[in-house]
Amino acid sequence: MLRLWPLRQVAKVQNVLGGLTQIATKSTQPAPAPELVEVFIDDKQVFVEPGTTVLQACAVAGVEIPRFCYHDRLSIAGNCRMCLVEVERSPKPVASCAMPVMKGMKVKTDSPMTRKAREGVMEFLLMNHPLDCPICDQGGECDLQDQSMAFGSDRSRFTDNAFTGKRAVEDKNIGPLIKTIMTRCIQCTRCIRFASEIAGVDDLGTSGRGTDMQVGTYVEKMFKSELSGNVIDLCPVGALTSKPYAFTARPWEIRKVESIDVMDAVGSNIVVGMRTNEVMRVLPRVNEDINEEWISDKTRFAYDGLKRQRLTTPFINVDGQLVPTDWETAFVKVAEKVKKVDPKLIAGVAGSTADAEAMVCLKDMINRLGGELLCTEDSFPLNRSGIDFRSNYIFNTTIGGIEQADVVLLIGTNPRLEAPLINARIRKTWIHSEVCVGVLGAPVDLSYEYQYLGDSFIVLKDLAAGTHPMCKALASANKPMIILGTDCLQGTENGVIYNAVKDIAERLRKNLKHKDWKIFNLLQKNASQVGALDLGYQPGVSGLKALQAELIFLLGADAGTVSKDKINPSSSVIYIGHHGDYGAQIADVVLPAAAYTEKDAIYVNTEGRVQLARQAVNPPGMARHDWKIIRALSEILGVALPYDKLADVRARLGEISPTFDQPGQVNESGFEAQAYQLQTEIKDPIVNVNTAISPTMLKLKDFYMTDPISRASLTMAKCIQACKESEKNPYSKQEAKA
Amino acid sequence: MASIIKVIGNVRRIISHNNGIIGSFLKMFRHDDLKWGTLVGEDKYGNKYYENNYYFFGKNRWVSYPQSSGFDFDASEIPPEWHRWMHYMTDDPPTKVPLPQRKWMADHTMNLTGTSREYVPYSTTRPKIQSWVPPKSSD
Repeated sequence: MLRLWPLRQVAKVQNVLGGLTQIATKSTQPAPAPELVEVFIDDKQVFVEPGTTVLQACAVAGVEIPRFCYHDRLSIAGNCRMCLVEVERSPKPVASCAMPVMKGMKVKTDSPMTRKAREGVMEFLLMNHPLDCPICDQGGECDLQDQSMAFGSDRSRFTDNAFTGKRAVEDKNIGPLIKTIMTRCIQCTRCIRFASEIAGVDDLGTSGRGTDMQVGTYVEKMFKSELSGNVIDLCPVGALTSKPYAFTARPWEIRKVESIDVMDAVGSNIVVGMRTNEVMRVLPRVNEDINEEWISDKTRFAYDGLKRQRLTTPFINVDGQLVPTDWETAFVKVAEKVKKVDPKLIAGVAGSTADAEAMVCLKDMINRLGGELLCTEDSFPLNRSGIDFRSNYIFNTTIGGIEQADVVLLIGTNPRLEAPLINARIRKTWIHSEVCVGVLGAPVDLSYEYQYLGDSFIVLKDLAAGTHPMCKALASANKPMIILGTDCLQGTENGVIYNAVKDIAERLRKNLKHKDWKIFNLLQKNASQVGALDLGYQPGVSGLKALQAELIFLLGADAGTVSKDKINPSSSVIYIGHHGDYGAQIADVVLPAAAYTEKDAIYVNTEGRVQLARQAVNPPGMARHDWKIIRALSEILGVALPYDKLADVRARLGEISPTFDQPGQVNESGFEAQAYQLQTEIKDPIVNVNTAISPTMLKLKDFYMTDPISRASLTMAKCIQACKESEKNPYSKQEAKA
Repeated sequence: MASIIKVIGNVRRIISHNNGIIGSFLKMFRHDDLKWGTLVGEDKYGNKYYENNYYFFGKNRWVSYPQSSGFDFDASEIPPEWHRWMHYMTDDPPTKVPLPQRKWMADHTMNLTGTSREYVPYSTTRPKIQSWVPPKSSD
């Protein structure tokens, strides 16, 4: 429906035809590279590529044209008319956002005609726009407010309003996240275009025309998308604002801290808005390589979970009941427990939001005590080359690289919910190119069309053997991609599935035309996983049972993989984390630590990109930074760690893996051939896997609560409630049954 | 010469008034002041009020706090009726002209600020961070 590549095909044909005629007329010269077009913006000469719009050419010349409906990442609508400029020899002002440049075009962006046109448009817009800026949440960051000051007239000729009143539109209920005040809407249609182009949910639209035009869902239903919050940022006025943020803060009071998100393994770049030591909101930060300028709803709205169910004081277990205590008592208690057990039976588990600094401190401390077992919660097959090669467990293609792919094979993953921004990239690629997507797993709604291959292991075996019809498409692809989810690697047969996927990747790699193209991708779910594996943690907690560990340190391990029935019942558990969740409940000593907005920390995303999160607020109550807790504890246990400052810890990280010294970059990982070779040297008999290869998150309601922060969030709970109600709504599009 | 005799007479009076040399020493140690005067009255809290117009106005009325107050005595231990006299609002001490007693009058309490019984206003704003309360163990 929305795929643009057929249009592009037509354009290609036209280009070829154009080229032919050119060749015919211009004898036998080779077709020249597209010539730059010379245009004059306010008599300033600029050269731009043919096909760019006047508005973009003005931006090249350093002139910003006011606009409401135009947005870089959305299709051009040209309906707000704010970007009108005068073009010489044109009788009327033209909408610069929709007008392609022509040779020798002379654009006047500050002429009396342009100014009059802008004032006129602004007068029309303000005719029906309520003057409620003092109580509007957009106040201070409103495009209409700013542009009416800069380009509007100082008075209006529409005096009728005094008698008839302004146009009023009923507010719509589109879910628990987005507050709509539709009277403020100026019908720029950015939200509609975002929903249908980026999010892939055709829920929003317009009805009526002229004064009666309204933006909405027509029938009342929830705007059911994992990226819905982005329409709040897109809305140039206060028609769509954030419901949880409503009336809580003003943009000029908020201090902005650039940080990293940990709700999934994508590592979206965010700006944390902070006021009076409280996180007020989370907004996206532009990073073309990762999240462009979008973030998922969990990233944006789960911040209220940072204020609930927090650990603000240490706890110790007295006769089966956790009682609050002070740091000294808690540390002494830990020291007593450590003294009692055999050092070899001390183990550590890193949870989904653990930062690299804390993980390296924990690892160093346990190693110094004599323990060897440190593991993460997510499992991963170790029977072959395992985690010895970085290319085995990261997203090798990189997120930006998805746009070059021509065949994408998704195995056992639902990227729409596991990593919404990676799914948005695949959708972007799907819209703009001829990418063919195949899905092996559950038939979930991915917001783009795909070829469904089934969910049984037999299909995977066929693919590995090269007998499946999909193999032809994969083999003929220039840049194929395989994305393997981690959900299907949690069972005992994970090695078989993993090997089969590696077999497919290796066969494709051998016949690849672009030798530096990476095929195999593992889509991690936890923000800590890649960092943990880089630091030498073992994936999966199965080792705890095998070792019969007596003392287990949990570093925010809350996924429920470590529970009393899965470990040695006599073992003690020491929990270091920020939320009272599964981990704290089974703990004998609880040490309160900082959440991701409360510490300077390093996170490694699924691509293997090292990113720095910055501290926005202080840890609550007696909570302290994770690495400092472990550093202090190590001193009490008599194995003082040799670093006192965060810089020292980071130097230690750099010693272990040089990637930690290069924040923001992705280091290409090689040795795929060697990794595969090691894999084939030990040949497993191909056993059959009877369980279906399927991700665990199938419907949107599974998306909202996945980690201790989002589980504590009231907003996320409301979202799940709304999703359940929307299932009863006959007008709401039902998600595919899985 | 006459002034020296006056001084000696004063010292003698002070010492006798304050129960001898040791008593005077303790008084000086506790109150940082030694005076002699007539006992005007005593309130129910044990504060003793003295007056001697030999001393200059402003120093001629004073209070001696009860031993139970120790070294931590405070001016707010003086009840309001004596406060009037101490501060020269009236020349009639409440022993001579007692204040009318109303049934709504509360008992005097000293200012407890800085003690363990001080008044601490509680916050009416909700805490920004809600702490986790561990679940009660079932057994």
